[in-house]
Amino acid sequence: MKNYYVQRVLYALFTLYIVITVTFFMMHAIPGGPFTRERHLPPEIEAILNEKYHLDDPLFKQYIDYLGGVVTFDLGPSFKELGLTVNDLIREGFPSSMNVGLVSVIMIIAIGVPLGIISALKQNKFIDHAAMFLATLGVTIPSFVIATLFITLIAANFTFIPISWVNDPQNVGDAIFRYIGPVIALSGYSLSFVSRLTRSSMLEVLRQDYIRTARANGLSERRVIFKHALKNALIPVVTYVGPMAAAILTGSFVVERIFVIPGIGRYFVESVSNRDYTVIIGMTIFYAALYIVMVLLVDVAYAFIDPRIRLGKKMGD
Amino acid sequence: MSHTHLSTHELDSERRWVISVNKNDFNYVESSKKLNKEQIRPSLTYWKDAWRRLKKNKMAMAGMIGVLLIVAIAIFGPMFSKYNYSDQITDFSNTPPRMEIYQIEEGTYVFLSAQYRLFIVTDSGEIIERLDQTDTDIVNRIYTYDNHGEPVYLDYSYRLIPDSEIDFKLTYKGVSTTEQYDKVWNTTFLLGSDNLGRDVLTRVMYGARISLTVALVATIVNLFIGVTYGAFSGLEGGKIDNIMMRIVDIINSIPLLLYVILLMVIIDDRGLWTIIITLGSIYWVGMARLVRGQVLGLKEQEYVLAARTIGVRRAKIISRHLIPNAMGPILVSMTMMIPTAVFTESFLSFIGLGISAPQASWGTLANDALSALSVYPYQLMIPSLAIALTMLSFNFLGDGLRSALDPRLRKG
Amino acid sequence: MKTLLEINNLHTSFFTHLGEVQAVRGIDFVLEEGDILGIVGESGSGKSVTSLSIMGLVDDPGRITEGSIVFEGVDLTKLTNEQLAEYRGNDISMIFQDPMTSINPVYSIGNQLMEVILRHTKMTKEEAKERAIELLKMVGIPEPEVRLKNYPHQFSGGMRQRAMIAMAISCNPKLLIADEPTTALDVTIQAQILELMRSLKDKINTTIILITHDLGVIAEVCNKVIVMYGGMIMERSNIESLYDNPQHPYTRGLLQSVPKNVTGKKNRLIPIEGSPPDLLSPPPGCPFSPRCPHAMEICLKEAAPLFKISDTQFASCWLHHVDAPEVEGYVKVAGDENE
Repeated sequence: MKNYYVQRVLYALFTLYIVITVTFFMMHAIPGGPFTRERHLPPEIEAILNEKYHLDDPLFKQYIDYLGGVVTFDLGPSFKELGLTVNDLIREGFPSSMNVGLVSVIMIIAIGVPLGIISALKQNKFIDHAAMFLATLGVTIPSFVIATLFITLIAANFTFIPISWVNDPQNVGDAIFRYIGPVIALSGYSLSFVSRLTRSSMLEVLRQDYIRTARANGLSERRVIFKHALKNALIPVVTYVGPMAAAILTGSFVVERIFVIPGIGRYFVESVSNRDYTVIIGMTIFYAALYIVMVLLVDVAYAFIDPRIRLGKKMGD
Repeated sequence: MSHTHLSTHELDSERRWVISVNKNDFNYVESSKKLNKEQIRPSLTYWKDAWRRLKKNKMAMAGMIGVLLIVAIAIFGPMFSKYNYSDQITDFSNTPPRMEIYQIEEGTYVFLSAQYRLFIVTDSGEIIERLDQTDTDIVNRIYTYDNHGEPVYLDYSYRLIPDSEIDFKLTYKGVSTTEQYDKVWNTTFLLGSDNLGRDVLTRVMYGARISLTVALVATIVNLFIGVTYGAFSGLEGGKIDNIMMRIVDIINSIPLLLYVILLMVIIDDRGLWTIIITLGSIYWVGMARLVRGQVLGLKEQEYVLAARTIGVRRAKIISRHLIPNAMGPILVSMTMMIPTAVFTESFLSFIGLGISAPQASWGTLANDALSALSVYPYQLMIPSLAIALTMLSFNFLGDGLRSALDPRLRKG
Repeated sequence: MKTLLEINNLHTSFFTHLGEVQAVRGIDFVLEEGDILGIVGESGSGKSVTSLSIMGLVDDPGRITEGSIVFEGVDLTKLTNEQLAEYRGNDISMIFQDPMTSINPVYSIGNQLMEVILRHTKMTKEEAKERAIELLKMVGIPEPEVRLKNYPHQFSGGMRQRAMIAMAISCNPKLLIADEPTTALDVTIQAQILELMRSLKDKINTTIILITHDLGVIAEVCNKVIVMYGGMIMERSNIESLYDNPQHPYTRGLLQSVPKNVTGKKNRLIPIEGSPPDLLSPPPGCPFSPRCPHAMEICLKEAAPLFKISDTQFASCWLHHVDAPEVEGYVKVAGDENE
């Protein structure tokens, strides 16, 4: 049992190492280095800059230095935002992204899972068709469309809902309502996906022999569904929700851009358009690390739900 | 009660038989007659059966019609358009699909755009010309336009009066108009024009070409890499399979979108092929897993074992047995990959890493329209709608294919 | 002997989009306390649907369309699902075919076993645990205290079937239905499980319905047999008569198509030609008639009643009618032909 968790952690660390290495060498594969791309700097200034950022060191030394930096949670300076480090940008942007993200993740789970269960239990009834119709729309409409629809149709007509993020809310209304648009746009796809996944997984589980056994044992329908079916049905949902939460917590580039949320997603997109290479590397690693941690948490949760994984297949079979 | 040898529960009233007096009934029947009584249902091949099931699924058929329609529009649409995707008529920029027209003189109609630009139009919605603004009186809120020497005055001060019945007043040759004459469809640009005076319809149809090409080719690249990788891994088995699958696991625990972005940044060439190759080379992992799983399962099937024991060559086993049998799930996965690729491409374009101008995909169109969203929402809604419809069609079709090709459901 | 279960004219159908599949088409039988009834038939004969009908576990789109299932004087078809749940696992319990898939993989054996006990008795958790250990011991699982905490995947197939039997007998059911309990198991394990069931029958004094396609299994444990085909009863008999003197062509076909390790005679195996009827649009008359070597005109028109061969043997075949041609081995039954 412990073996499984140790193995998972080592695995995650190894994946993270691969991610850092690949990202580092990818960015350094850009011909000419970060300062020569757009404008031609005088050679002496470029030399100073190269020295300052240790770009004239051998590549391998830079790599080791960078690894050392990552281990001590130092992702280096920004090339374009003078005086700021990647850490500063993350520290500044992450809280907003996380706030919006957390509310979205809670909404997705709190609405998506029950909706899927209800649909499965009322299969082919009106409520199932209605919920699945909405869910299909949800997975097909891109978030920027949802966001803009929200702004043009809803926020325009209900003036108490701010059309963009209120950074420093002065009243309770703003503090709450500013979440509506971003959360709808951010959770639309995943909410739909989760409810569809829960539904199909639940239907699959309800067809299993052990459900029939539970009924044959005289258990109440409630117990059959909420004890015997639900735990099994949640296994694929958990697998999806982990990485999804990572993606959502780190903020969607699109949603943050549309609602002008000063989150890390926006910084990332800005760094891409500014070609701010250290920020791009740093943010990528930050994202990847968060993602990998989430995948790790999923593995742990998975083992918690499914004893076959926790205990391994030893006897029988 | 007849037949004393039957107790009551053996034969209730409904099952009581009529005693046959006709002794001929006890003649043996010929075997040919017996066989006719047996129900022989035509046996269908896998694909025919799947097609039969797919045809029954209304959603899937709607999806398929949608897909065919979108593809047809992408291929043939631009041919029937009077504009090219890059044609600019800067005078006629930002005209909406639906115009409110005002009659300023018998037979002369004008349309006032959201940016206070005045167009002479016909009552059937054709835009004839744009009138130059000759004077701007900001204090009295009166604009003056020149219609071939005759001034047209626009008094928009009414907009500042609360609860005003009218929006503005147009005065031409001493006659004032405040009442809307009609609301007509824009026949010069059926879906309006963008900020450079390009026809939105043409650009959306053209964007369909780009978006669908990207999606389709990227999916084929994915398919190629995924099938090769997965089939090789599954067939080899053992250590090689183990290592190859570890690699897949690692790739799978990385947020791939980041690497798409990273690659786009590094390559720094925003051409069609860069996007296709980037998308195609990154999203093959799912396909590889699927194919490997199929191959592993099929490898152990009796008929494949049988083929092996009688010495059928490996290549032949793959082409005759494995590929046709794995085709169903692969097809479903492909159908689902296409909308994902459309989505990803539009997303890349939306954050400014898409196709470079003047070429445009749906994502680029949506991105371009974002800045003026509140004034010209139609410019965003049209490409968005195109994306959503495509995703919807492919999703319906994919869902339908999945259930049509699922062998577990075949009996139903 | 006291009557435990009485089934009258039971019809169960599945309403698919292709039409009504009539899985069970009017069967009747009586079960007395202490019986071990074997129901035999090939797949699609309706034997499993019959048992699920008794349990009230016919899944959508299936339902009982006609008839009654009277258990200790109560018609189970009239009960609501909640009322039926009181019987299930308590008075009537069931063992399923595939022990690999029939136990929930994410809960421990002990958890699932105690759940049933707590559901139907007033025991405390501790008492239920004691009872669970006792049950596991009873079904021959070594180290029951340890095994209680195990998950299904840690059990072998035979062990899982034992655990399932433990679950089924946990509340001393009056009726135990076993639906092909040994089919998914190895031959050596099969014998062990059958032996276990036979010994349990005496220990807990229960009545058993054993569903199988294996006449050998029936010969080993049952005292009564029902042969089903196409959703109908072909022959109903006590065990000796059926094997010594089968009175239905289908029963004969079945006996000829299984190795006769019972009698020890060296006979050639004779397969039954043709395939089972399509229950979506079953032919009128006897369902076996298309495959029957003695099919007569009347067989295609209507199904035969159950002719009484002896006090313990009934067969649904027109060959027993006085007007039917003589066929060796088939008894003529005199009926009152004036009505």
